[in-house]
Amino acid sequence: MAYTAEAFQNEYLALGATEVDAIVTVTSTGAEGGRRTSGATEIIIVDCSGSMQAEGRMAAARHAAKAAVGCIDDGVHFAIIAGVSTAQQLFPDPGELAVASPQTRAEAVRAIDRLQANGGTAMGAWLKLAHRLFGLRPGDIAHAILLTDGENGEYGGYLESVLTEIGGSFTCDCRGVGTNWQVSELRKIANALLGTVDIVARPEDLATAFEQMMTAAMSKTSGDVQLKVWTPIKAVIRFVKQVEPQVVDLTGKRVEEGPRTGLYPLGAWGAESRDYHICVQVPAGMSGDEMLAARLSVMEGDTVLTQALVRAVWTGDAALSTRINRQVAHYTGQAELAEAIQAGIEARKHGDDHTATIKFGRAAQLAHQSGNKATEDLLSTVVDIEDAATGTVRLRRKIDAADEMALDTRSTKTVRVGRQQ
Amino acid sequence: MSAPADCAACADERAAGAAFCESCGQALATGAEREPGTDCAACGATGTVGADGYCENCGMLAGRPRDHVEADAHEVAAAVSDRGLRHHRNEDAMWLAVRGSDADIVVCDGVSASFDPDVASETAAETAGKVLAGPADDVAAHVGAAISAAADAVAALAGSGDPRRAASNPACTIVAACRRGDTIGYGWVGDSRAYWVPASGAASRLTEDDSWAAHAIALGIDPAAAMNAPNAHAITAWLGADAGTVRPRTGTLRPDGPGTLVLCSDGLWNYLVPLDDFAAAVRTAVRDHPAPLEAARALVTLAVDAGGADNITVALLAV
Repeated sequence: MAYTAEAFQNEYLALGATEVDAIVTVTSTGAEGGRRTSGATEIIIVDCSGSMQAEGRMAAARHAAKAAVGCIDDGVHFAIIAGVSTAQQLFPDPGELAVASPQTRAEAVRAIDRLQANGGTAMGAWLKLAHRLFGLRPGDIAHAILLTDGENGEYGGYLESVLTEIGGSFTCDCRGVGTNWQVSELRKIANALLGTVDIVARPEDLATAFEQMMTAAMSKTSGDVQLKVWTPIKAVIRFVKQVEPQVVDLTGKRVEEGPRTGLYPLGAWGAESRDYHICVQVPAGMSGDEMLAARLSVMEGDTVLTQALVRAVWTGDAALSTRINRQVAHYTGQAELAEAIQAGIEARKHGDDHTATIKFGRAAQLAHQSGNKATEDLLSTVVDIEDAATGTVRLRRKIDAADEMALDTRSTKTVRVGRQQ
Repeated sequence: MSAPADCAACADERAAGAAFCESCGQALATGAEREPGTDCAACGATGTVGADGYCENCGMLAGRPRDHVEADAHEVAAAVSDRGLRHHRNEDAMWLAVRGSDADIVVCDGVSASFDPDVASETAAETAGKVLAGPADDVAAHVGAAISAAADAVAALAGSGDPRRAASNPACTIVAACRRGDTIGYGWVGDSRAYWVPASGAASRLTEDDSWAAHAIALGIDPAAAMNAPNAHAITAWLGADAGTVRPRTGTLRPDGPGTLVLCSDGLWNYLVPLDDFAAAVRTAVRDHPAPLEAARALVTLAVDAGGADNITVALLAV
């Protein structure tokens, strides 16, 4: 497994400056020969609440679940959960996992035909059952797909308590079909379980979405990759964020590991590249002092896969200390872009059109400046962008709910900065 | 004259006193580089210096060899290079090699505005030093050839290593000298200087800066005003890929009495611009410190105490 990590930063700080920013690009070529370093378990959770009968969603969900099953590699363990007011294991027998083969996949497809929409929505219970089933195969690359069309029906705080209990134990990609589900609810699940969240507005697009998620999951070759961060004494970690391919704040996921060292979960990895933004506050040094502000190690178990150093060098030379690092500036902008969009949507929901216009205007400006065309296009479904360069926008009178939810769920998607300096 | 210490790595006697052994390239004289497991000088923690040179407690780099470098050829010559107070690293580099009373000296100053200027100066000093080690008929031409070789080596850096070197190529100045018998050849490109300070009589500056200020003064502008202009230090010739054809200026000196040959970067001479001030400082240093190394240290300390705004490199050859 070949991993590399490269730090991009302006290490030169003005005298008295204490904040060190760096973007670290972690790249993996994947396991040798594309083989997994451990086993893999897949669980598909399909919402079977009564509302799924509408708009042919249940039929589309069955079709999508079958498509996903078809993408599971031979030898991978898997199960299907039918989500109603409780969690019911649809396949294989309760408390067991099937081993994928042509035969078990065919059996699973027959079981999926029995899925019926009649019941409530209990995401906490569904995820708890998935957690128990993953527990049968400790050490596996554990990945779940959660499909829903509505709001969680469990009592307030239950889902949150489940997420606290099981957070980080598997990856969960969440998809909402239609427009009656809550972006914030699925985002909470996806954040706790290091997964993605997206809208599938039209039921007929579900099969493609499921295939994509399952194919991506099958390409993961390492299960539990961690970022180990050492910082010097008296240093404070302001934040650790994944910033590409999408913004995920990892700061609160820190697990103390030893003196001045903490671990942040990076989830499952295949052949891919991701960027992280770390911001550390350190005691100011004297002119010429060079400090190691952070040592980042990408870990699998106790194995150090690769390292990158974040340095601080204090200088009286303003020509050096005022240099802007392109990577840091770019991703600082991308994170602000996501925040501006989410704040704009929130303001609009509360009828605060003034704030919404300001936030969406700033978002349009940031998306335009950074060349994030996908986000700019999504924004233009919610506001009329009159001048992207100055951030002049006008709120649209009528907005398609699906467009706004797509903007919300995809607001965290970032684009990579050009590497040439 | 007794030969100073040999190179510890390859025991090559010819390299004795060189900042870098010309045989194996090992640094002969270095500053505060620390071994893993030693105590941290910054926070005082015990045994915390890690394998990558940073303290595992406070994160401070335990030491950079180039922050303060000394080369000691005992009574023959010495050279000291120091980071100073304001710059975050030492972009000056030096070379000193002696064989009996023969000596090769190079002082280079990296151009801060370029990328990796510290690599440029180190490459230039080492390349020129190795050429100087060869046989010399005409000492001035010999120094000229050494500088030309250094120019080629520094120009080649733009096409290697970090891609940013191509956009802002590494560049540096150079002043070099070699003594063979009673004759000293010298040459330079940029604003690093050579001075002859006789024990008695008038001192002389052997080099003329390739700088905006020097051109302005040559055109009749008041020297004090020219030296205080914002672009006084802008150099008009240097070693580097963008330097075009480098034409080192050279000269020959045949001292008729005892004295001191001084090669230095602008980190020293900028605090001693009038020639009389410079000569007085050198004479004081040499009088108070008969050992060239001590005298060179004293001159570096003078520049540091005056503000240490730049890197400082001083090489002294006793005549």
